[in-house]
Amino acid sequence: MNKLSKGIGLLLATSVVLGACGNSNDNNAAPSSDSGSGAADENKVTLSAWAWNVNVGALNDAMELYKKDHPNVELKVEDMGRLDVYDKLSTGLAAGGQGLPDIVLVEDDRIQGYLDAFPKGFLNLSDKGFDGKDFPAFKQQLTSKDGSYYALPFDAGPTGLFYRRDIFDKAGVKAESIETWDDFIAAGKTIKEKTGAYLLPADKFKDDANFRMMLNELGVFYFDKDGNIDFNNPKAVQALDTLKKLGDADLVKDVNGWDGTVSATVDGSVATVPFGAWYYGTIIDQAKDTNGKWGVIQLPAFEKGGNRAANLGGSSWMIPSATKHPDEAFEFAKYFATTPEVQQMAMEKHGLFPSLLSTYSQPIFQSDVAFFGGQKIWKLFADEMKSIPTPYYTKDYAIAMDEAVKAQAHVFMGQSAKEALKSAADSLKSRTKRNVNNY
Amino acid sequence: MRTLRTNVLVYLLLALGAIVSLFPFYWAAVSATNESGKVFAKPPILKPGAKLWDNISNLDKAIDIGRVVSNSLIVVTIYTALSLMICTMAGYAFAKFKFKGRDALFSAFLLSMMVPFHALVIPLFKMMAAWGWLNSYQALILPNLAYPFAIFLMRQNMQAVPDAMMEAGRIDGVGEWKLFTSIILPSVKPALAATAIFLFMYQWNSFLWPLIAASSKSMYTLPVALSSLFGLSRIDYGQVMAGVTIATGPIIVFFLLLQRHFISGVLGTAVKE
Repeated sequence: MNKLSKGIGLLLATSVVLGACGNSNDNNAAPSSDSGSGAADENKVTLSAWAWNVNVGALNDAMELYKKDHPNVELKVEDMGRLDVYDKLSTGLAAGGQGLPDIVLVEDDRIQGYLDAFPKGFLNLSDKGFDGKDFPAFKQQLTSKDGSYYALPFDAGPTGLFYRRDIFDKAGVKAESIETWDDFIAAGKTIKEKTGAYLLPADKFKDDANFRMMLNELGVFYFDKDGNIDFNNPKAVQALDTLKKLGDADLVKDVNGWDGTVSATVDGSVATVPFGAWYYGTIIDQAKDTNGKWGVIQLPAFEKGGNRAANLGGSSWMIPSATKHPDEAFEFAKYFATTPEVQQMAMEKHGLFPSLLSTYSQPIFQSDVAFFGGQKIWKLFADEMKSIPTPYYTKDYAIAMDEAVKAQAHVFMGQSAKEALKSAADSLKSRTKRNVNNY
Repeated sequence: MRTLRTNVLVYLLLALGAIVSLFPFYWAAVSATNESGKVFAKPPILKPGAKLWDNISNLDKAIDIGRVVSNSLIVVTIYTALSLMICTMAGYAFAKFKFKGRDALFSAFLLSMMVPFHALVIPLFKMMAAWGWLNSYQALILPNLAYPFAIFLMRQNMQAVPDAMMEAGRIDGVGEWKLFTSIILPSVKPALAATAIFLFMYQWNSFLWPLIAASSKSMYTLPVALSSLFGLSRIDYGQVMAGVTIATGPIIVFFLLLQRHFISGVLGTAVKE
């Protein structure tokens, strides 16, 4: 009987003690976490940044270089999950800018959404003299709104068709001879027949990455540049119809999410993976046993000689207007974005493909990549950058993607591409009150 | 004979269930000892590899596992202790004391269970910012100390305690505090254990609020730190699995510690004296 009450007493006692040390820890931590209050040394500035994964390393490396000329600037990067950054950023913006960092990494497809939802949330970088001319056209469009820049462009995801040389050889198919999606489908049938491998993976019911790459390649997207719904565009129908053909020929391996895609990549059950350049990192990390067996070509075109350049992914740096150090944050972010050495380092050490055009003259873009059978894959991706059309995401991107994924699922289950996209357009119209383009 | 055969059957079935529910834990632990890409191997690898130390040291480099685990332990210990105390007392009051507006207050508590936490995040965040408590232990611990479901659970169990027992105590001149600690609490021991486990798990796994409230790495709890391992394209699964395995440990230990009370409680009611 008494044991339990003693137990509770003990727990309480511990909690008081722990509570006490909790407090003391907190007092120690407080000054360093609040970059604004470091007024003891007038000139010392500690910038804070939020980023995820390999970007953290890239940012810290850049600061090492930056500090040589700016010894008064320090940087504290909080490493968090990609989606976690958005949860915290949205909360902070909704709370009027409280608790936000000086610099935050945002994916390109989310930038316009943030600018729409929080028009005063981020610094106007054009006012600070940033002009973006060193970056490809699509990246300029993604980081600006109404003629002003709100983000400093960083990495990009020029797309490629990552393929397994050994599987192609076994089937007697030459990757270089694939020029169009029709060629690709024909090659896929041969490969499936000779080796049993599927042609490509797709998360049929949850993700439409392939569809988005195709749309971008064709110079269309969910929306046109005025923000009208563009699902009925014949080019969009053509893209989804191509996916349907791949599905009907049983060349698509249905995978579950990101892990499923990686799994198919590692175990050799698919012969190709169409993705952004950043997938290089995943392949070399997870599929170590396949060293030398990979190659890359550009995505097939929809007609002979047609555009084969597209982009998937990429992110940029934004500066919340609540920052206490707008000038220092801008100067450092601009240094990061526009210095070729920094961009080259980010690519070599962290696999982040730069969008800064002047970086492409660095030697690494001429190098042979052993893991990819000695192919100059970085040159291939770099050459692609200038031809990438702009996708228009808008703030309703997430809802539009939801509709696109549903349309894709219906198509894989037998509906025609045209019908599926028509109902996607209608339903997106009622969800967003946007106009639909009819053709 | 028949009972023996049924017993064998029952045990076989139970063993099967145990294997099915334990396998994911085993696989996670094994994956923590292999390098990242092996997670995707087909058929799955079931023998421990030699990379455990590499994975743990990578994990430590990435998220400072010692700091993060102690953050989690500090938060969860204080939270469970305080919350158990508050919820037990509140449940006792709701069950055994008659006061004005009691039922309305209790319904209000129950209704608050239906408000999704996401709706509270921004006001809570503003509150913590106004008090200068962002990135502190109190910000992680205070919200939800009066946890409606735990109060509800304790109230239901307190109601089962016969009034006669309390009256007998009062007649014998036991003070209210003593009555609560020596008569009421021991008779709801199993419920206390269940509620403690529930609160512990709730706080140990809590993700969204610690993510929002902790602004520097030194204040991250385990789930927030583990989530930070997920970038876009480069994930070290060996490291993740090592972290996940470490994260499951304390829950299992806590459960095993309290399990005794659980069972003794059940047996206690089975025997009539």
